[in-house]
Amino acid sequence: METSEAVQVIVDVMAPYIGDTMARSATEAHCQKLGIPTDSPLSSEHLESLLGKLSGGLNIFLGREKAAAVIADVRSALVAREGGR
Amino acid sequence: MSTTSRTDLIPWVILAGAAAVYCGWALAPASTLYTRVLTPRVLLAVGALLKLIYLLAGALWAFTCRDRMEEGNRARPAWLLLSVGLLSSFVGQLSFAPYQLLGNEAPFPSVGDLYFILAYPFLTAAFIVFLRAYREAGLPMGSLTERLAILAGVGVIAAAVTLPILRPVVAAEGPLLERVLTVVYPVLDLVLLLPLALLLRVALRLRGSHAGSVWALILGGLIFMCVGDVAFAYFSALGREHLDPFIHTTFILSYGLIAGGTHRQLQLLRS
Repeated sequence: METSEAVQVIVDVMAPYIGDTMARSATEAHCQKLGIPTDSPLSSEHLESLLGKLSGGLNIFLGREKAAAVIADVRSALVAREGGR
Repeated sequence: MSTTSRTDLIPWVILAGAAAVYCGWALAPASTLYTRVLTPRVLLAVGALLKLIYLLAGALWAFTCRDRMEEGNRARPAWLLLSVGLLSSFVGQLSFAPYQLLGNEAPFPSVGDLYFILAYPFLTAAFIVFLRAYREAGLPMGSLTERLAILAGVGVIAAAVTLPILRPVVAAEGPLLERVLTVVYPVLDLVLLLPLALLLRVALRLRGSHAGSVWALILGGLIFMCVGDVAFAYFSALGREHLDPFIHTTFILSYGLIAGGTHRQLQLLRS
């Protein structure tokens, strides 16, 4: 899956909790910090690093349990998007 | 509308109704409603009760938020500090209760002021800890230059609005302690406004979300608190005590919104 497409899926899942703007800017900022190129496919290694960082951010607002549940929803949404191709 | 969402609306209807009643008291104190039914005695007592309930609920809910967050969560100490700040205000308000629940104005200054002032360092520290937690979690907080510009802008605007209002307060005659305290509250509000301005930037990015509504309520409540403190200083200095109902309105709204924000955060953690 292209990174930009994955970012959109991640933003869609996180938006109800932290808003579209924060979800997008946080995801893009983490991609940049992790050196993930947005115009190429997202490797599973990069995806894990990205989700780890996002989970840390969500913890602050949602607590660890709920943040883990949201990250699990992100994974499911990514799998569903891949499966829907 | 579901039963749950209708039930959720009840506290907001009560808060909006209370604000409308107290505003009406300020605007038409001589009307039959306010001279025969909702007399000043009744309104002072009801207002005191509402403020106590909101402050205690806010303190308890903020503490429960802290409790539900795991050890090591960077936001955990911030919820504790917020809880202590609200509890300190509750104790201050409680010291007014013997007067206000009997329908009398509380004395000023009083021992209650000690607790209201004590609340500020806790509230300010809470918001600084929230900001640090958001930054350390990698959330975009803007560049250092951007943050300094926000702080400078808010500082200048707040000072430009507040200082002319405080000038007659400083120049007014009266006991020194009374005049000092009247100025101290708005000054502490100015200090509190600085981290709030940075949090407002974060809150704007959270808009439309559950976390966004938490911050909209808490920040809205704190803004009403600042307005209430400045209005209190100004009205007291100019001897316009007949405008006190406006001050009651701002504090009821302030405590009600803050309590609402802490409750919404708790709902988010429990969801």
